[in-house]
Amino acid sequence: MLLIPGALFDQGSPPAALDWLMSQDQPLPRIWFADETPQRPVALAPYRIDRYPVTVARFRAFVQATGFRTDAEDRGFGLVYDEHGWIERSGVHWQEPGGPGTGSVAADNHPVVHMSWRDASAYAQWAGKRLPTEPEWEYAARGAEFRLWPWGDDWDDKRANTAELHATNGLTTLEAWQQWWQTVCRRDGPLPQTTAVGSFSPQGDSPFGCADMAGNVYEWTSTLSQLYDEATVCDPTVRKAMGTYRVIRGGSWMNLRYQVRCSERMHGDPLGWSSFAHGFRCAQDA
Amino acid sequence: MVRIQVPSVWNPEGRTDFEADEGPLPEVIRRFAEAYPVMRRRLLDAAGEPLLYVNVCVGDELIPRHLRRDTVVPAGATVTIIAPMAGG
Repeated sequence: MLLIPGALFDQGSPPAALDWLMSQDQPLPRIWFADETPQRPVALAPYRIDRYPVTVARFRAFVQATGFRTDAEDRGFGLVYDEHGWIERSGVHWQEPGGPGTGSVAADNHPVVHMSWRDASAYAQWAGKRLPTEPEWEYAARGAEFRLWPWGDDWDDKRANTAELHATNGLTTLEAWQQWWQTVCRRDGPLPQTTAVGSFSPQGDSPFGCADMAGNVYEWTSTLSQLYDEATVCDPTVRKAMGTYRVIRGGSWMNLRYQVRCSERMHGDPLGWSSFAHGFRCAQDA
Repeated sequence: MVRIQVPSVWNPEGRTDFEADEGPLPEVIRRFAEAYPVMRRRLLDAAGEPLLYVNVCVGDELIPRHLRRDTVVPAGATVTIIAPMAGG
């Protein structure tokens, strides 16, 4: 784990970041990103955070020690994105991420996926750790100064595992993304396109040396979703998730550059839901 | 009529508010999806049944998946469709 010093920092995005998003070749409206504004000062005590997301091998050690069964295993199906969209598929879980027969020892050093909030919290408790809070996650990803990505403000698709790394053609529209993904599905089936943790180090690391904080897997935090300011005008369905969902950070291999920014917020259903792109890392009080 | 709210990223216009006829919740969702085909794959499975991993609120109440079949949406209510991962 990496020791992160205590700090006072401004969590979230300044208005200029949303102005920049609206100037880019991406289709999403401003209200979709508004939940990451306004910035607000947050004081953090010193803490430790995992350098990498929890891997398949580490999660297996937890399961072997405790007999733990994940939510996806208990209900008998998991969520993958096939050629047509999200689908609940039988036999999908962390050991068989695309369905029966898709597990591989080659994935041992990849981030574990199909992790619900409960799964992630249970592992963290067993490991003597906890999930990071949302501010802890963001500060570990970018440090005291605002920056778009862990390494700085200039995008480089070779520094993170995103869809832009995998696709050879530019991805700026949903249609282009779907075309890329359909090609992958026809070739491999709906398999997560994760990479071994640390594959983009050191060039993709945060100022503190945290790896894979942009892309690879979505990461659960412990924080109950709330707006930074109740007066914020944001997407009404995002607002409705406040007080129920838990914050997810970092984006994943499925996303474009805009969704893997350090201050980007997503909110996940914590009641057992997970997908083939959802993992986590742990934190600990210093 | 009932008001239906969907994520702004589900249609190219960024529209979030729609109207539909009241009735049993699965039927309200089905009719809405058929009226707006661009959202059909986000709401219905291949057999035309509402996708259960998509969360649904009627008013302020989150309707658990096992209760949706028996839920009736009264006139004047707001149905909010929340993706299992919202935002981003």
